[in-house]
Amino acid sequence: MNIATVFEIVLASVVLGLAIWTIAVAETYSATVGFVAYSLLVALIWVRLDAVDVALTEAAIGGGLGGVVLLGAAARLRDAEALTVEQASPIVRMSAAILSASITAALAFAILLLPDPAPTLAPTVVANAGATGMTNPVTNVLMAFRGMDTMLEKVVLLLAIVGVWSLASDRAWGGRPGPRHQADPNGVLAFLARLLPPAGIVVGVYILWTGADHPGGAFQGGAVLASMWLLVIMAGLADTPPVSSRWLRLILVAGPGLFLAIGLGGLWLGPAFLSYPAAFAKPLILGIEVAMILTIAATLGLLLAGAPERSSQ
Amino acid sequence: MTEFLTAAVGLILAMLALGLVSILRGPGDADRMMATQLIGTAGIAALLLLGTVTGVPAAVDVALILALLATFASIAFVKKGLPRLEADGVGSAEDE
Repeated sequence: MNIATVFEIVLASVVLGLAIWTIAVAETYSATVGFVAYSLLVALIWVRLDAVDVALTEAAIGGGLGGVVLLGAAARLRDAEALTVEQASPIVRMSAAILSASITAALAFAILLLPDPAPTLAPTVVANAGATGMTNPVTNVLMAFRGMDTMLEKVVLLLAIVGVWSLASDRAWGGRPGPRHQADPNGVLAFLARLLPPAGIVVGVYILWTGADHPGGAFQGGAVLASMWLLVIMAGLADTPPVSSRWLRLILVAGPGLFLAIGLGGLWLGPAFLSYPAAFAKPLILGIEVAMILTIAATLGLLLAGAPERSSQ
Repeated sequence: MTEFLTAAVGLILAMLALGLVSILRGPGDADRMMATQLIGTAGIAALLLLGTVTGVPAAVDVALILALLATFASIAFVKKGLPRLEADGVGSAEDE
């Protein structure tokens, strides 16, 4: 047996074991910690499958930001959980288990039934890479070949932030999200919040820039920038901005707005919506991505900060 | 050289599996979070070696992101999970 195969089998069984434990464990908080570790390991699997773009997103969202959201939610639920005495009846639990098992079986069946080789557009994407002047096929698909989907995805991010803000009480509307964090200014957390962000900002910008030709892009870079911002907020070195602030809202619409404007420009001056002139394709796409990384960083940061809780005064 | 690096990946994977045992055993959530940190660090090492062995240079970028963000979850853990930690008598003054 090949050593790479052994590696894959060990990795798969470790991930599978952790996944089963995460489902089986009774306490929400412990399950969340298990899930964070699970995300870190799944990133390894994506690299092994040569899907490095996905691995970057999994590491940034699953291991980093997603873990923070889930830990926060589990901490809030924990108090309510202790008070709940009601247990679901065995019939409900059994039906839920049967339903989950049959969905898993159906998915496994569908994957086994896939034609071999699977229908794919990958060779076409690689053959047309010259059209944009960028060699990363994932960026080409996201920003050029299926640019419409990516643009609508960014609009969904905006809708998500509106959804979170609408949970604010009338009194706090327009105020600052989340509690005002305080930490010992000479403590470890404040030290880390001064040490890490400079390196993190460089890495975030690097991930965006390298995304043109290698795995990376605005979303992964934006996630890194967002976590650096949140680190500074959690250490109490900066406060969350009030959601009524003009510059914040400008940043939030900058990415989708520029994307839409360039798309309409293609309709007006060129043949179709979101058609880039061949000579300017790369600068235009990079321009959109720069606006987008700011929007994504601000949106993810605010999504994690939560609904406005304090009035801005 | 490749065999040596592959063997190193195997060793790190074994350590990672040990960290998993620690997640399963607990007993406290803080122990589990420490094991998750160990898995994050082992993941960085495995990614760097794996990228060299299989010739995927971009694996280094994934390792970079893990290095920046694996700490992040444990910071949130300390901030959000503090009430219970204090109840266990291991809390610090590092929060509101």
